[in-house]
Amino acid sequence: MPSFLDFFLDPILRAPTLGSMLMCLASSLIGAIAFVQRRSLLGEALSHAAYPGVVLGVLFAAVFFPEWEELLALSILIGAFFSACLGLWVIHKLQRSYRVSNDAALCLVLSLFFGLGILIASRLQFTHSLWYKQIQIFLYGQAATMTDVHIGIYAILGLVILFLLYLFYRPIQAISFDKYFTESIGVQVPIFESIISILLVLSIVVGIRSVGVVLMSGMLIAPAIAARQWTHKFSILLILAGAFAVCSGFLGNYLSLQIPIWFHLPNLSLPTGPMILLTASFFCFISLLFSPETGLISRCVRMISFRDRRYQENILKSFWKKGETPLTFREIANREAIPHWLMHFLLYRLTAQGWIVKTGKRTFQLTLDGHQRAARVVRLHRLWEVYLVDYLGQHAGKVHRSAEEMEHILSPELEKELSELLKDPKQDPHSQPIPSIKEIL
Amino acid sequence: MRDLSAFPVAVKVEHLTVNYEKTSVLWELSFEIPTGTMCAIIGPNGAGKSTFLKTILGLLKPLSGKVEFFGKSIKEMRSKIAYVPQRASVDWDFPITVFDVALMGRFHKMKLFKRAKAADREAVKRVLEMVGLTPFSDRQINQLSGGQQQRLFIARALLQEADIYLMDEPFAGVDVATEKALISIFDQLKMQGKTLVLVHHDLSSVEDYFDWVVLLNIGLIASGKPAEVFTPEALMRTYGRSSHLLDEVSKLVKHKASGLL
Repeated sequence: MPSFLDFFLDPILRAPTLGSMLMCLASSLIGAIAFVQRRSLLGEALSHAAYPGVVLGVLFAAVFFPEWEELLALSILIGAFFSACLGLWVIHKLQRSYRVSNDAALCLVLSLFFGLGILIASRLQFTHSLWYKQIQIFLYGQAATMTDVHIGIYAILGLVILFLLYLFYRPIQAISFDKYFTESIGVQVPIFESIISILLVLSIVVGIRSVGVVLMSGMLIAPAIAARQWTHKFSILLILAGAFAVCSGFLGNYLSLQIPIWFHLPNLSLPTGPMILLTASFFCFISLLFSPETGLISRCVRMISFRDRRYQENILKSFWKKGETPLTFREIANREAIPHWLMHFLLYRLTAQGWIVKTGKRTFQLTLDGHQRAARVVRLHRLWEVYLVDYLGQHAGKVHRSAEEMEHILSPELEKELSELLKDPKQDPHSQPIPSIKEIL
Repeated sequence: MRDLSAFPVAVKVEHLTVNYEKTSVLWELSFEIPTGTMCAIIGPNGAGKSTFLKTILGLLKPLSGKVEFFGKSIKEMRSKIAYVPQRASVDWDFPITVFDVALMGRFHKMKLFKRAKAADREAVKRVLEMVGLTPFSDRQINQLSGGQQQRLFIARALLQEADIYLMDEPFAGVDVATEKALISIFDQLKMQGKTLVLVHHDLSSVEDYFDWVVLLNIGLIASGKPAEVFTPEALMRTYGRSSHLLDEVSKLVKHKASGLL
């Protein structure tokens, strides 16, 4: 069983592991730029557009230099590069000259080029069946057979991308956000755009060796989506995307080897490419779930804490309406539509936080702080009712419901504004007194 | 450095023609905008107002004609010109803070590849204060309202410390308070001798806000002081049937030229 370190040192494991990690780093950084420019689908189209180039590259090597195996990789790279560039050009041309919309152009190029590739490949299956295997590798990727040469290629590409991003961070950010403004201050936008496009094509062309044509676009975009959930800054987004990608690259290799060992299934073969992508998607999924702002978990927490606050304030309000008289548990529970077990819990917390105090067996009374807090809720409720009736012309009989909600929501700033607007009224539309500011402080 | 506000003509356009494929979107424009004025570019949708701004900025290539800023070409005067694109032309979900967008206004000063200096940061803070965005400084831009987004764009332009401000519909979709705040900022700029050129839509406010008007509909209809050129007759020619005919013809030409008809 290989140890953790073996993945970086062992001559056989090292190449796919390091290669994948570097490949993921390069593609995630360039993918993050495409992602913030809302061009996520471009990667998908271009990786498929590279496929006929792969096929022709193999064919070229097979026909002219069948003895030179080293030439094969180079021939494939060049073929894929030009084929993807051609795809990029066709997409541009379709949009510019023929007014085909962006998504339609991408879709068309994707299927056209990929279809073409498959057509030639299936012919090769019979004429050059040995070489056909080489083509198949690029469809779904094969990290396991990578060599130290691949590490070198990926390392160079990764360094080039890192270096350019470091040097041109500001212009790239500016172009991605506001192209026309950036051009207006004299930045050569077309040059930067071409460089970004070429780097995108390059990272796709070298990346398809390990994750394949079909999954490549996921490798470009998934780390960026995951990173976007944690930050509003482009710089941090790039760093996080890179980190997620490097981890996916490693874990993909690690898990594809370890899972069969852990579960004692020697016949189970988990391909590395899909495993890398699954790991990246897992990071995405976790990020979407736990994102501090839009994540499902934090939204649930916020919803629950709002409901909790509403329950608490409603209970305090019930006490307040009774004046100084203490209430028994039964009396409180009858006033609110809250299950008893929850009521016990809420009363316990209100006591612990100092809003109410236990005065006898199962009887409670507001503390001074509790009284003030309840008065504030009632004040907000009645202020809102006055506002609805006086300013929005609603019927006094219909405003209670809305006020029941707003009393828990209105902020101190809005309260001040309301109070000023309404000239600090003393009575609500139902002729009930509104607790004054002094009562609350 | 010579004082640009002493130069009488801020923008001079001579025989400017812009084609999109084979159709003219701007045709033989020749006029001048005097220094120190607040000038409105007015015309119906598709009249080429935004195209005009982009062309004189050098973002689009004209077919023929010449544009001069204070007697010099755009290349020499780039640092003297601030451009405010349409608010809707950018993606407001982009991961960037209010502060960093405003900082873009200092790029020509801080040499794009360098880090922001303390002086740059101070300048940004000062201008954000001026447009009332200080509390939002570290927020993501999608938390701004439409009016606030526009104020941010203006803040960025102010940081460029330019002599000519070219703005594409700065009042589009903003609240009344923002419009008033912007107008008072623009008035201050004018008092400093700056020239402002605004693509504008609200005809009712033209005479209140502006002291120069350019009426545009593919060709130039009129250019001059509002009292002289902002007449019902000129407006009729800008928005009325005759220009509609030109529009129809140009569409026809476009279709013929590209083989669609």
